[in-house]
Amino acid sequence: MVEFNRKLFRDLDLTLVAAPFLLGVLGCVGIYSTDPGLDRWKKQLMYLVVGLILSLILALTDYRKVLSAVAPFFYLIVILMLVMVLVGFGVKVNGNTSWLRLPGGIKFQPSEFAKLAVILMLSRHIAQTHDEKNPAKDKPLSLRDTVIMGAIVLPPIILVRLENDTGTMLTFGAILATFYFMAGMRKTMLVGGAILVAVGLVAVYPHLKGYQKERIKAVIEPDKVDPKGFGYQTIQSVIAVGSGGTLGKGLSNGTQSRLGFLPYAYSDFIGAAVAEETGLAGVLFLMSLYLLLIWRLIAVARVARDRAGALMIMGLVGLLTFHIACNLGMVVGLMPTIGIPLPLMSLGGTAVISLFMGIGLALSVRLRRFVN
Amino acid sequence: MSKKNPKNENRSFELRLYVVQYFALAIFVALGIRFYVLQVGHHQFYEQQAENNRIREIPIIASRGEIYDRNGKVLVSSTPALNVVVYPEDVTNRNETITALVDNLGADRAQITADLNDPRRPKSQPILVKQNASAGDEAWVDAHELEHPEIKIDREPQRVYRFGDLASQVIGYVGQISSKELEDPNYLDEGYKPGDIIGKAGIEKTYDKLLRGKNGMRRVVVDSRGKPIRQLEIIEPIKGQDIITTLDVDLQQVAEAQFDGPHQTGVAIAEDPRNGEILAMVSKPSFDPNVFAANVISSENRAAVNAIVTDPAHPLYNKAIQGIYPTGSTWKLMMATAALEEGVITLKNSRLVCGGGIQVGNRFVHDVGGNHGTPDIHAAIVHSCDGYFYRLGLKMGVDMIHDWVSRFGMGQKTGIDLPSEVRGIIPDREWKKRVNPSDPVWKDFDTVEASIGQGSVAVTPIQLLRAEAGIMMGGDFHVPHIFKEARGTALAKMVDYQDQPKEMQLSKLTVDTVSYAAWGVVNEGGTAGGVGFPRDLNVGGKTGTAQVIAREKAHGAALQDHSWFISFAPLHTDEKPELAVVVLTEHGGFGARSSGPKSRIINAAYFSKKLGHPVLPEVVAKNVEPAKNIEPQPNAPR
Repeated sequence: MVEFNRKLFRDLDLTLVAAPFLLGVLGCVGIYSTDPGLDRWKKQLMYLVVGLILSLILALTDYRKVLSAVAPFFYLIVILMLVMVLVGFGVKVNGNTSWLRLPGGIKFQPSEFAKLAVILMLSRHIAQTHDEKNPAKDKPLSLRDTVIMGAIVLPPIILVRLENDTGTMLTFGAILATFYFMAGMRKTMLVGGAILVAVGLVAVYPHLKGYQKERIKAVIEPDKVDPKGFGYQTIQSVIAVGSGGTLGKGLSNGTQSRLGFLPYAYSDFIGAAVAEETGLAGVLFLMSLYLLLIWRLIAVARVARDRAGALMIMGLVGLLTFHIACNLGMVVGLMPTIGIPLPLMSLGGTAVISLFMGIGLALSVRLRRFVN
Repeated sequence: MSKKNPKNENRSFELRLYVVQYFALAIFVALGIRFYVLQVGHHQFYEQQAENNRIREIPIIASRGEIYDRNGKVLVSSTPALNVVVYPEDVTNRNETITALVDNLGADRAQITADLNDPRRPKSQPILVKQNASAGDEAWVDAHELEHPEIKIDREPQRVYRFGDLASQVIGYVGQISSKELEDPNYLDEGYKPGDIIGKAGIEKTYDKLLRGKNGMRRVVVDSRGKPIRQLEIIEPIKGQDIITTLDVDLQQVAEAQFDGPHQTGVAIAEDPRNGEILAMVSKPSFDPNVFAANVISSENRAAVNAIVTDPAHPLYNKAIQGIYPTGSTWKLMMATAALEEGVITLKNSRLVCGGGIQVGNRFVHDVGGNHGTPDIHAAIVHSCDGYFYRLGLKMGVDMIHDWVSRFGMGQKTGIDLPSEVRGIIPDREWKKRVNPSDPVWKDFDTVEASIGQGSVAVTPIQLLRAEAGIMMGGDFHVPHIFKEARGTALAKMVDYQDQPKEMQLSKLTVDTVSYAAWGVVNEGGTAGGVGFPRDLNVGGKTGTAQVIAREKAHGAALQDHSWFISFAPLHTDEKPELAVVVLTEHGGFGARSSGPKSRIINAAYFSKKLGHPVLPEVVAKNVEPAKNIEPQPNAPR
């Protein structure tokens, strides 16, 4: 499957390799500086290297072959998640049970892989139904396709809901929405869908759990929430960010993250930790790297030889943008706390590896952009 | 890129790519603006917030100044006590904290709940849960440091009232500042904060600003659990100023002992008339201020505090300055002084008929002492002749009487340095019009009543003492006071008492006449002749029997009139008097019977001490000849 030749390797998009790796390294620095006494950062660096290697392997693999082979993996992941929900042997971390403990002390989050798997499954569907018959990229999505694509995403959505992982659930929604949009859904359906989502959110609000409402309130009226309660994380995160100033307090000098006021400074709130220690300068550098990555991915999607490859990359773009918007939005107090990690930076091997795999596939799309 | 992919010509897909691209850009720009606003725009605010998170200022309570008697004996001191406190800002689950405190440390649930929910209390200020924590309490707090980092042990000074209930209303007590007091500008403007321990009564209250000192603090870095990591700065507390009072513990003990026994309530004040220094001030019943200084949170202690506060006998009440009573015949010394000064009578021509009473309108007002013939002013005072003073009063008229007693300070605060002094009532025409609209016109009968300090006359014992001591001093009316000096500290200079006497020109003849008559009351077989004052002390004085008004009598048939005795020593010598004593025994009956012997022992104790003799109450009582049995006779004078 892997074909290696010097010409392909020379054509590799170095930006698409360097930007995510640099972000990952910055993540390791952030994880280290929140608690230099722990060696979490070493683990993270290891995952980063593993991810990089996997991405290079995938870059040299034909993504079309990957797409045609993805279905069994997707079903395996869904079954794994189903078993976790039914048997309940998922490890409870921060209130959700999306973690699977493997022998050797490794914790594994099938739902993180599910994000990539869903992107690939949706692309596979596009490849089967469109590219093979009519490679034109802007052929509108038929109603049948719309329903089938929704059906693909539904099982993981239900499963992560049962795992109590709202963040991942919304991520699947964001991926699906990106696909619908990019695949050329009819404008009426697009508008109707948007209205449906808005109505749905309003309808769901009264049924949210108390802590969820409280977290939303922490964003809308931060003065009115109990600073010791569920608004605590948002308030402390905003303090961490604001106190960082222009140039930050210096690595390992963040009082909010080091003294424990900022919760999960190494995972979900790593953005706040970095903002506190490196200030606006660090944050802008970080965001520039993300933006560079996203624009570069879109550029690849633009030159992709087929619709499936382009949509696969755009699915990845949707995933990244949604995660960054939600995570940094939460860090600066514009979004409620829902447990969405900062891509490539938050502690978590599964997420880093699956993202690098996605980037590897994007590299593959770029390498195979010419119709032969 | 040799050949363009024809599929890329699809315009609408391109368009959608741009939509996503610029949508992502818009999100990044929005986030960037928000980061800029927080990190640059509001940087200082959040920097402060982060500092507040990190830095904890732990107060170190200053030790309150000590209180001494005039001879340097310690009356009140402070000892370090271990307290259980709660830091509200570290409380994560209010109910768990409260339950832990109630179940394990015996805190009062209602009190601690109220304190934790008080919105005015700064979150950084620890809440006192329990004073005098036991070793067990300390061990519990240490053992539960992880589950309850908000519960800590603090070392704070606690007030100790060495003599228990001795002079309790004068010394006062301390307690936590109340929310009502916090709104009072007297406290608010001086930087008092919730949780502060302040003087609540007595000189603890009057001189709180001298006694309180200045709290110190420790600035420490804490982690998110409130655990101190390192100390940044320590500001040592400055102890409050020690106060030396004018009280003499020995004399105070003697005076207090005079009220031992059932139903012995009332007032005794001993003052140096030369400067207004209060040597002893007793108000019975009294209370133990240690109850207030102790653990105010436990339910047992709250019951003890409650018992004092709700006691129908009002032990918190300082009757010497807050109790108002008719003066009875002690009033006559002021009447005589006024009449002589105004020339209503003269020394040579002072005889007035007694007549056993006087006919006023259609009623005859008796002289309770019988018929004294036609006494001069000396005899009228010595034998407390009511008939004489009825006629003298009518000659003077109510306006003159009111004018003179007012000049002596009747019906006014003396300005003593104790809180909550009251004015009392001196009736006049205006007053009667105001309080008695059904019978508004002042009548001769009212004047007759007012001439002997009965009727509506109601003054405090301290007023009477100041007025008549001032007369005996020849017109020097000193402000009675407890404060002698405050010792200097690092923070404050020494403070002396600033005496501001009111001087009045009284002729020597008048003063000699009145003081000689008072001397006669004791030493010439007058109304106090049987009390048994040692002759060589040259004590002079005046008895008084204050009528308990009928309404009070109706409530308890056993209630007798109040017994007064006011004395000055020495009188009728070349020296100025150096001791003035007023004793009021509530429901003690005739003046010489209950209050006279008390005064005799207080006088004897003072002069014994001056001679270097022991002054223990029981010894003094034995040293001084027992009082002759003076049962009120049918013709008992007032």
